[in-house]
Amino acid sequence: MSGHWRSPRLWVHLLVLRPLLRLVFGVTVVGKENLRDLDRFVLVANHNSHLDVLLLYTIVPVPHLVRTSAVVARDYFARFPRLVKVLEYLFRPVWVDRVQKDTDPVSEIIGRLDAGENIIIFPEGTRGDPGRLQEFKTGIGRVLAARREVPVVPVHLFGPERSFPRAAPVPLPLWNHVTVGPPQLVRGERHEITATLQRAITDIERTVSAGRHRRTERPRRTRLVAVLGIDGSGKSTLSRRIAEAVSVRGRVGWVGDTLTLFEGGAPQDLQPLQTERLREWMGQQAKQAKSLAHYKIPKLTELLLRDRVVEETRRWYAPVLTVTDGSPLLNMTAWAVLYREEYFTEEFCGRAVAIMSSRGERLGARDPLLKQFPELRVLLRLGLNRLSLPDAVLFLDVPPAVALERIASRGERQQVHETEEKLTKLADAYRLLCRVLVEQYGVPTLRLDGRRPLDDVVAEAIAFVAAAEGNG
Amino acid sequence: MQPEVPLPTVLLIALGVLTVGLGAWALLRRDRPAAPWLRYLWTFLAVLNVAAWWSFVAAVWLLALFSFRTLREYFSLVDIRLEDRWGILGAYLSIPFMTILIQVDWYGFFIVSIPVYAFIIVPFLVVLGGREAKGTVFSIGAIDFGLFLFVYCMGHLGYLLLFRVTWATLFIGGVALANAVEALVIGDRPISVRRGVGMLAIAVPITMAGAVAVQPYTEFALGHSLGIGALIPTLVLAGSYTVTAIERDLGIAPDALAPGRGQVIHGTRAYLFAAPIVFHYIRYFLEE
Repeated sequence: MSGHWRSPRLWVHLLVLRPLLRLVFGVTVVGKENLRDLDRFVLVANHNSHLDVLLLYTIVPVPHLVRTSAVVARDYFARFPRLVKVLEYLFRPVWVDRVQKDTDPVSEIIGRLDAGENIIIFPEGTRGDPGRLQEFKTGIGRVLAARREVPVVPVHLFGPERSFPRAAPVPLPLWNHVTVGPPQLVRGERHEITATLQRAITDIERTVSAGRHRRTERPRRTRLVAVLGIDGSGKSTLSRRIAEAVSVRGRVGWVGDTLTLFEGGAPQDLQPLQTERLREWMGQQAKQAKSLAHYKIPKLTELLLRDRVVEETRRWYAPVLTVTDGSPLLNMTAWAVLYREEYFTEEFCGRAVAIMSSRGERLGARDPLLKQFPELRVLLRLGLNRLSLPDAVLFLDVPPAVALERIASRGERQQVHETEEKLTKLADAYRLLCRVLVEQYGVPTLRLDGRRPLDDVVAEAIAFVAAAEGNG
Repeated sequence: MQPEVPLPTVLLIALGVLTVGLGAWALLRRDRPAAPWLRYLWTFLAVLNVAAWWSFVAAVWLLALFSFRTLREYFSLVDIRLEDRWGILGAYLSIPFMTILIQVDWYGFFIVSIPVYAFIIVPFLVVLGGREAKGTVFSIGAIDFGLFLFVYCMGHLGYLLLFRVTWATLFIGGVALANAVEALVIGDRPISVRRGVGMLAIAVPITMAGAVAVQPYTEFALGHSLGIGALIPTLVLAGSYTVTAIERDLGIAPDALAPGRGQVIHGTRAYLFAAPIVFHYIRYFLEE
């Protein structure tokens, strides 16, 4: 055991590498006592930088230093033959070739462990993105499953991802923290071993990086939740109830027939906006239309103005959430389906949404989409293609017959499109849209059965909105 | 009138006695950890003794090394982007740049070295290194401020050392005294108006009396001795108050100080504000 003092390798480590790391970068080691009484060990650490292996060698106890080898990627260092010689001398590495895979590193590692040596290994296999732990490769599990009597020590390195990250050409003097976890004897099969080690290092990471300085992020745009449904499905009531319930957490804007701000569960006093007055008047015009042709223009204008109200609410009242009864963008697309249902496929639908919400989609002069949806050309020319895409969509599904019954019981004058045939088509269009939103835009969508009691529907909708907010 | 034994050595011995006393006190009362401000007083006294016994050049480069340590800790804690790396390298390199100017006593260049040249070069390097413009303003602000506080302010201590080792020694002694009073009166509690006034009410008379008592060493007039005596505790308090907020933003916990986790910044915060202003007071009124 005492022969190691004569090795020049040891003195290079003690007199050159360790002082240099401390002088230039600065090293704090927490939990060094965890390595004290082990006769053999495997060090497992997260990998972000070329400094990692040097840092791990600074915590290896002196008697172990000459008989510790690191697992190093040969395919990377093969480009620098001189460096390979230095590494060969300093770390006596177990070379791994990630490209050719001609050697079996696992059996070599096991061989070295049997010879009484210690192993340093980075189970991530590569340096990866700075500060993000990648999935561990299972090679470490294979080694440990074969030699269960060797204690494994999880180590977390914090700092090398800033002082010498993968993207940087030169290292910068910045402090490094090495946290040594308690030694463990493994149990279970190799996947289990790998997973538990990864968890151990993630746990250390969470404690070490708590309270780090972060620049404040830019305030995000408030989230927009749209409730879709055919007329008479009760979407107006549902969206109002959602706004009321969420407003316990902060101000919520509800854009239904009128704009209302909710705070603490109660509506706030608000002077109506000019845009809103205009929208109301347009809505009246649409309701009084005698045929679908007369209905189209006022309805389109009304929808555009409604989007304007949504935008103004989000901009000037800074709510935490905006709930809309319908969504101008989606309603318009659905109406296009209604007018020209024959050719409207998912692809067309997705493109129409992309164009109207200005998501980088181009519209050619003879685009087949224009045949289905000629109003698009006008909208584009007028610059009215910046409609807001909701962050979450609720679809309240009610059979058209039930919906018509409800409309009749309200005692209002029946609008031109409120026939069973048209409403069925509209509901189909909404279903198509919901599919497109989920598949092409990743917008979370929930279908609610409108025939159930309102309170159940509201509870389900609120839970969905909360979950959608948490994701974003 | 210069005495036989240099003043830094006297102070070093005094600090040794004090530390042994405090160590005994801490042993008796296990719950009180050693004061963090005492730790770096040793460093400063070592620098002063090197200047007194050996060479001014060595002392000023030791101080530069200490500035590097402080700045490195600050950069390790502050949230930097990958694009800022060249700017930070520039900030590190301005430490030797400034130190050489102190060493050759080129005052006019020293005084503009960081506020003019480094403050122009560092933003340029930050922008050169960046493909991403977002966050540039915050990065430049964070890097330049750290450079100013931990290198430029500390550099004034080096220049004071160049004037006279005695002055620098008494400055360090005065700050340490004010620091001790602050530790006793305020401790780790937040600084309020009441506590601040209380600290000044105790510290100012002590440092004033001290400044008058060391008049044979400083050769300052009575009025100026009293002025500096009042200035030092006030600036120590202001510096501590300001750096406390910075520490809190950086996530430095006063009860969990460690190297790389705010120990150096916390230990030197009292000197940062006092050094440049006391230096300029002395240079304007007193240095011949």
